[in-house]
Amino acid sequence: MTIDADRLANRLEGALGSAVQRDPATLRAHAVDGLVPHIRCAPEDTSQLSAALRICGESGAAVIPWGGGTAMHWGNPPTHADVVVSLERLNRLVEHDDANLTATVQAGMSVAPLQDLLAARRQFLAIDPPDPRHSTIGGTVAANINGPRRLAYGGVRDLVIGMKMVLASGEPIKAGGKVVKNVAGYDMCKLFVGSLGTLGIITEVTFKMAPLPETFGTIVARGSLAQAAHLIDALFASALTPAAVTVVGGDVATAAGLEAAEASLAIWAEGFEEAVARHVRDIQTMAGQLGLATEMLDGVAHHRVWETVRDFGADGASPAVFRVSVPLAAVTGVLAVALGVTAGRPLRYVAHAGTGTVWLALDDPGLVAAWFPRLVALAQEYHGHAVLVAAPPAVKQTVDVWGPPPQALALMQELKRQFDPRGVLNPGRFVARI
Amino acid sequence: MARLKEIVGPTYVLTRPEDVVVYEQDAFLVARALPDIVVLPGSTAEVAGVVRLVHEAGVPLVVRGAGTGLNGGSIPIAGGVMLVLTRMNRIVELDPRNRLAVVEPGAINVDVTAAAAQHGLFYAPDPGSQTVSTIGGNVGNNAGGPHCLSYGVTGNHVLAMEVVLASGDVTWVGSRSADHPGYDLCGVVVGSEGTLGVVTAIVVKLLRKSQAVRTLLAAFETIDDASQTVSEVIAAGIVPTAMEMMDGVVMAAVEAAIHAGYPQDAGAALLIEVEGHPESLPRQMKRIEEICRAHAPRMLRTAASEQERLLLWKGRKEGAGALGRLAPSYYLHDGVVPRAKLPDVMRKVVEVGKAYGLSIGNLFHAGDGNLHPIILFNPREPGIMDKVVRAGEEILRACVEAGGTITGEHGVGIEKREYMRWMFSDADLMAMQRVKRSFDPDGIMNPGKLLPVGERPDVTVRPAMAAGMWT
Repeated sequence: MTIDADRLANRLEGALGSAVQRDPATLRAHAVDGLVPHIRCAPEDTSQLSAALRICGESGAAVIPWGGGTAMHWGNPPTHADVVVSLERLNRLVEHDDANLTATVQAGMSVAPLQDLLAARRQFLAIDPPDPRHSTIGGTVAANINGPRRLAYGGVRDLVIGMKMVLASGEPIKAGGKVVKNVAGYDMCKLFVGSLGTLGIITEVTFKMAPLPETFGTIVARGSLAQAAHLIDALFASALTPAAVTVVGGDVATAAGLEAAEASLAIWAEGFEEAVARHVRDIQTMAGQLGLATEMLDGVAHHRVWETVRDFGADGASPAVFRVSVPLAAVTGVLAVALGVTAGRPLRYVAHAGTGTVWLALDDPGLVAAWFPRLVALAQEYHGHAVLVAAPPAVKQTVDVWGPPPQALALMQELKRQFDPRGVLNPGRFVARI
Repeated sequence: MARLKEIVGPTYVLTRPEDVVVYEQDAFLVARALPDIVVLPGSTAEVAGVVRLVHEAGVPLVVRGAGTGLNGGSIPIAGGVMLVLTRMNRIVELDPRNRLAVVEPGAINVDVTAAAAQHGLFYAPDPGSQTVSTIGGNVGNNAGGPHCLSYGVTGNHVLAMEVVLASGDVTWVGSRSADHPGYDLCGVVVGSEGTLGVVTAIVVKLLRKSQAVRTLLAAFETIDDASQTVSEVIAAGIVPTAMEMMDGVVMAAVEAAIHAGYPQDAGAALLIEVEGHPESLPRQMKRIEEICRAHAPRMLRTAASEQERLLLWKGRKEGAGALGRLAPSYYLHDGVVPRAKLPDVMRKVVEVGKAYGLSIGNLFHAGDGNLHPIILFNPREPGIMDKVVRAGEEILRACVEAGGTITGEHGVGIEKREYMRWMFSDADLMAMQRVKRSFDPDGIMNPGKLLPVGERPDVTVRPAMAAGMWT
């Protein structure tokens, strides 16, 4: 639908005042897969956001919800991008109920300043999105961005216990609450986690918190991929409970400040001092028996490894990024096949062994057409799936980045119709171009 | 009828009054209704065939597992066809390397853990009913249990499900791998109380057993001391795997029944369990003991052996059953509050009991803030049911006012469908209706449950009440 941008901007200005922007440089900076919006607005509260959505809905204008802009490479290119709605002014920590181990945060708040506030009361949010200075709470939840410590603390879906959102109609709703157990009605939070802004715009999220660990450290084991696979098996057969178990390869190790090796296995242990010491001791013994060299990292070196892992594929440095998700035991097998397929071409990877998530990055986006179907087929052999997380728009236009449509697509399409009948929220970006 | 018999075989279609009467009730003992037809299918294909037929006929469909549900969710209040899934009870696949199991909905909760135990694994959600309740029923109600404090509820442990939709179509939601592309329908179907579809297979996560466990029993003079202790343990950043409270009323009944060694005259006791590496447990236990000591405990006892640990837990698990010694019947409630509000709300529970002249026992998941006030009563007393219901409502309202919820693990069913309005606006409820319509546009799946219908459920009491409900 073609929209009358001037008229729409006037109406939005009437409702939001100076929160509506149209200068070309700002708009260009908010392009999604090359599509430059006509208008950007930043509502100051939920009622302004409601008004903005109502006006956009009436005009049939496509709305692109925008947090910190760190996950805009996710999804298919939108069919339209008329109005970018920024959550930047909804950026407060609403409540940190430390005695209840919960916190309620507005969607536009960035993760790093939130963690600073939580740390003042010795707690943290156990989600590690890339670029936490810019990644926002709303974006992290809407895009379901998980980090390395998901193994120990669960994913976004496990940590969110309450939510407020504004639907496409402008209607504000809430789901869940601020208690850790709650089965009153459908679990609407789960529906919105990972819905990529296609059902409504999240304005506030309540999370379970975790106590800051007493101590932490990283054991790095270097060797062949096969040796790393054996160490992973030994680790998961033991009673150890690491926070993250991640294989890195290609030049990722160098970026992480590690010595080069075919594969480096980084194991993050945290918690009580006695437990961390036990991890270090046991893992060094296991690695030694399997012929891997180990080193122990703490402080800056520990952080450098995990920041590199966390930011992998989201820093814009790689022209093509894939995420392959498989059951836990298939991770190193998938890596071995992927390395075989590239046959010597540069392939960088970060693979979370405890959660079955393999990130692959290619320097040549021209290979996506040949690679993506092979990765999809490979993942499917293991009951898994592959997603093209980032690629130039021209490449993304040629595929569905989410892979083949899910079995329950008809249900998902019906949910989209129920929540956003005009299809104005992030049109085309989600699975099967919902 | 003939077609139903063709699909599942004549043995598995029940219509005689003496056969279907077995299915008129679940563990919400104050309501009942007869199904017109009970069908016991043996496979997904049979379920799909039956659902298609029911859909064509446009009659209500109610699904049931072991019938241990506490909210009346499986009572066929509008009649129709009841699907009983207890024949579909196989553990189809156990995959220790990928730490998952594929089970049919009728599989018993504790059997999954028993099967996984040979690999050092277990299935975490442990509702009080776990020795009889089915995984399908646990999924329908998003069941919890004592150890959810650190492990989470059923929804955190279900990876994927096969679902027969209202149309009779069969689909999978979720996946054995994380982050299945698309909306998290698996997350939505868990806890949907049979109102969205019939779950015919479930892929569950298995966890590795901890190497060591320590269990502490701490008895206090008052409920208040115990509540404060719970709040302070959580506030100190310690998350035990379980932190259960039992008040004096329950403790006395339990002690008389099983002699677990609980002090009979204390106001409340906490059962606190921590798991992990043997090296790190002593210091954690020490910190927990310090917090307990600040509240002048009557008794602090750490289980010295696995046998003693099991005995302490036996008291907890059989607590509700032991209440049969105190009154002919009881009404078990389920509400949750933010944990720092526990002392306030527990005081309110005591006040409500006094105001209504009712004896209330408490046996609950304190670490989660998940209360289970148990209102004791004699059903022969005229007008008692009204009083019991009103007292319960007052307690649940106090939970909501404290920032909590009307149910933490038992679900809404018919029992609490009208209470949903205490928490949710019309718009919030309409959003849930949109989900319902997407799955079940004709409204045949378990009608009258989970969402408010505008009238109170028909709650009556009959003198003959079975003992042994689940918490």
